[in-house]
Amino acid sequence: MPNTKKTLPGHATEQNRFETSKLTLLVDRFMTVFIKFGGALVITSVLGIFVFIVLQIWPLFAPPSVTPLKSIPLPDTKYALLGVDEWGAKPFLVEPDGSLLVVDYETGETQDQSLNLGITGQVTAAFLNKREQKIILGTSNGQFVFVSPNHTSRESGGRQIIDVNPTAETPSSIGDPGMPITDIAYGDSGSSKLIVALQSDGETNRVTASLFKRKRSLMGKNKEEAAGTHDLTPMIPGRPEKILVPVTGDSVVVISESGKVSYLVLADGKFELRQSFTPFGDLANSHINVANFIFGDVSIAFASDSGENRIFSLFYPEGGKERLFGITHEFPNLGASPVLLVSTLRNKAFLLGGGKELSLRYSTTESIRWQSRVPYPVSNAVISGKYQRLAVLDSSNTLHFFQIDDPHPDSGWKALFGKVWYEGAPGPKWDWQSTGGSDDFEPKYSLVPLIFGTLKGTLYAMLFAVPIALLAALYTSQFLDPRFRSTVKPTMEIMASLPSVVLGFLAAIYIAPLIERQVPSLLLVVVGVPIVAAFSGFFWSHLPIQIRKFIRPGWEWIVFLPLLFISAGILWYLGPAFESVAFVVTDPATGQKTADFRAWWPAVTGASYDQRNSLVVGFMMGFAVIPIIFTITEDALSNVPKPLITASMACGASRWQTALRVVMPTASAGIFSALMIGLGRAVGETMIVVMATGNTPIMEWNIFSGMRTLSANIAVELPEAPHHATLYRTLFLGALVLFLLTFAINTVAEVLRQHLREKFKTT
Amino acid sequence: MPPVLSKPTEQPMETTVNTTAEGRPDFISIRDFSFFYGKKQALFDISLDIPERQVTAFIGPSGCGKSTLLRNLNRMNDLIDGIRHSGDIVVNGRSIYDPHIEVISLRKRVGMVFQKSNPFPKSIYENVVYPLRVSGQNKKSVLDETVERSLQGAALWDEVKDRLHESGLSLSGGQMQRLCIARAIANRPEILLMDEPCSALDPIATVKVEELIRELKQEFTIVIVTHNMQQATRCSDRTAFFYLGKLVEFDETPKIFSNPAQKQTEDYITGRFG
Ligand SMILES: Nc1ncnc2c1ncn2[C@@H]1O[C@H](COP(=O)(O)OP(=O)(O)O)[C@@H](O)[C@H]1O
Ligand SMILES: [Mg+2]
Repeated sequence: MPNTKKTLPGHATEQNRFETSKLTLLVDRFMTVFIKFGGALVITSVLGIFVFIVLQIWPLFAPPSVTPLKSIPLPDTKYALLGVDEWGAKPFLVEPDGSLLVVDYETGETQDQSLNLGITGQVTAAFLNKREQKIILGTSNGQFVFVSPNHTSRESGGRQIIDVNPTAETPSSIGDPGMPITDIAYGDSGSSKLIVALQSDGETNRVTASLFKRKRSLMGKNKEEAAGTHDLTPMIPGRPEKILVPVTGDSVVVISESGKVSYLVLADGKFELRQSFTPFGDLANSHINVANFIFGDVSIAFASDSGENRIFSLFYPEGGKERLFGITHEFPNLGASPVLLVSTLRNKAFLLGGGKELSLRYSTTESIRWQSRVPYPVSNAVISGKYQRLAVLDSSNTLHFFQIDDPHPDSGWKALFGKVWYEGAPGPKWDWQSTGGSDDFEPKYSLVPLIFGTLKGTLYAMLFAVPIALLAALYTSQFLDPRFRSTVKPTMEIMASLPSVVLGFLAAIYIAPLIERQVPSLLLVVVGVPIVAAFSGFFWSHLPIQIRKFIRPGWEWIVFLPLLFISAGILWYLGPAFESVAFVVTDPATGQKTADFRAWWPAVTGASYDQRNSLVVGFMMGFAVIPIIFTITEDALSNVPKPLITASMACGASRWQTALRVVMPTASAGIFSALMIGLGRAVGETMIVVMATGNTPIMEWNIFSGMRTLSANIAVELPEAPHHATLYRTLFLGALVLFLLTFAINTVAEVLRQHLREKFKTT
Repeated sequence: MPPVLSKPTEQPMETTVNTTAEGRPDFISIRDFSFFYGKKQALFDISLDIPERQVTAFIGPSGCGKSTLLRNLNRMNDLIDGIRHSGDIVVNGRSIYDPHIEVISLRKRVGMVFQKSNPFPKSIYENVVYPLRVSGQNKKSVLDETVERSLQGAALWDEVKDRLHESGLSLSGGQMQRLCIARAIANRPEILLMDEPCSALDPIATVKVEELIRELKQEFTIVIVTHNMQQATRCSDRTAFFYLGKLVEFDETPKIFSNPAQKQTEDYITGRFG
């Protein structure tokens, strides 16, 4: 037979029969590169996201920068006041004759804007109401006059031009006619105005308060009329030295020479001395050198001669009925005798200066934002309304400008994670409240309540989900007839894919009101059904084998399921009866007894009862978590090698013993993964929490109150967060914390899982 | 040398039949036993008396139902769906299908060793005491005593006595199988079933297990399935030859191998088929 060379299709000759086709090699090479590239891309983008988040967060912790700009020498005189416009472009000073010296930052020129004030004496006292941008001047012969600098901003050739067109009102007298005014202040609530003047002729001192009521006429014009003058002198111990009036004009704080502070409150048209305290009473020299309200006019920063610096705030002390001043913050010594203490118009920062020291401090977080030694002794300073420019007047009347770059003065480790004593609170605490009603509201950015809320929600969800999911998985994999298993599993998997927003919606609209009405029923069911189950199981196992053999192993649920449903139904309907017996509260006012769990719970535990509470969240989140834990656990249990189960059975172990002693430990690594994946889901779950809780960032484990989780917080707040503001960055920080939390959980889980896997590996 | 094991003082199913040194000739009595996996019949009318404290070997070609019959002796087949049987199996005078007895207590009386060793992922110690633990025995002294006795019984004590708390899976294949034997005898069963216990072992381990079987028969009634005819001759007293689910011949081992009554048996042992 001739040796015919057979060639395979696609191959030209016998020789290249063993060659790999070019295309195969090409595809192979391409895929190798493609997969490498894809992998690198994934890693890069994950890192990129991480870097992006860190970049967003970094400014929260970054120290501020305060950089010197230019210095402008001013005419030499004794200026009574230093003020500035919102942008810091045109600071002004009040000269002894009452005229304004306006400084142009851009050109460095000064302009004397004399006003025809009609006053006879020299200006001896001046006060700038920062909210109204209005000045009150007091003169050496007992007169006062209001002056408005009237800063206006306009555009010209693409540049912002600030104009100053000062106007003055007509002067009037206050207190002792002709007696020099040494300090003056006023507050204006809109409907009334309070002017307080301190007069001194070297021997006698007088504190006079003048009250004006403002009526709005039909024409829309304001009509002011005097509503009484009060001589406050008798109420003040020692020689008064300084006066502070809050913008609301409802009280006066007078500081005496001895360092004693008197807090006088205007109530029903009369002044009363509400509190008298000495901020530096513990020091040898308790004299107060400088003092000023912090923005919001609820706190006063005091500084002693020696440079000590303390903040006192108004709050209701524990059990008190009136707001009193109490020390809330204390700062390190300035290192010089303070001569100036100016607050900002935007936040709780203030500048303390003395000698050659300047220190920018933030009262709430007790942090020194910036401190510097300047080459000149300082005498006065002002911070622009936007907290961007600082003007410092030195003792030789040169005005030094600084650029403040401190976008997040209210942030930092302490504000975000530490306990902070906020204004108005009776003590330091962790608090989250990003927005408030008023302009001077101080946002509170502690992440601790949110972390707490996350853990609380997770805990209640896991408490509900873990026993059910684990037992269900154990039953399905070890006891249920395989025929049913093949339907149970896909059903649970469908449950796992339910969008959580649907669950949240259901929780908020249906479950929360239902549970609210039926807490006792729920309690009965939760406690009763497992007991019924345990009892019926016990009873079943003690039935003679002749009866038991009618139900094949794996089919027991046919008997038990209806039993459990019926008992659950009975218990649910017994709830109201149970409530009327167990949860009766007596109204202390009327003595009337009512059976209502919602009233009973707060009455007995002192904790609140909210409709959308952790129970609802735990329940609903449990539904989101159960299918995940169930499926993975079931897989792990079913994958336990059959020979082990057979061996256990051959040793005379019952099915339950086999499940507990052999199957569970062998599958422990898988079960553990399931729990951790469930935990991860619960930690990150958003929509259910957003919808099913009140999103109250409280810190209590009470099951009948709500919570706010990190993820829900981001969902709720992000639409309201201004780009690059502190809130915006804090939300990113919340995201990072959430990420770190899940990362930590996953890492610990993986380590433990590997350990378990090593310990219970079957081959 | 493992010590001669003492007779269990109490037996769960004490019967009136007194046990002679030879043991009862019909300790396990299989009567007209047929068995079905669903529609498929695996065993046909088997009748067989297994004497006490002797080694009985089941031989026959693959799929002839040796394992099926063996697994029926402790009702391990109950775990399989759709099984059915007729006839009866009587152990020590009492039917194992008696509705008054729990299958669990039957299995406690019958130890079993499988073809592929299957120690639990637990320590050597815990592997051995497992049958005691599931019977509710947790007394340390009893457990300790059992571990030593059983491991000695399984000729493994000297090799593992210093590492009882290491994983049972850290042992070699032969050691693992002997560990499984130790586990099977830990609760002092009356009967020991072995389903091709040496098929996955190397020759040296096989020799050890065979020696062990010869020792253990002083204490237990042993039924061993094997496809290794040398093994059957080496360690069994009686041999049953199965073919296609039927018992072909059952007799003293020397007789079966030297002078079989049936042609099929002769063909099989001379290697003409199987
Ligand atoms: N779990 C089972 N389900 C159905 N048929 C089985 C099962 N186990 C064994 N069989 C069948 O029963 C017959 C006997 O098997 P087996 O007892 O394992 O044989 P041997 O151990 O003698 O090799 C074989 O035909 C086998 O296919
Ligand atoms: Mg077999």
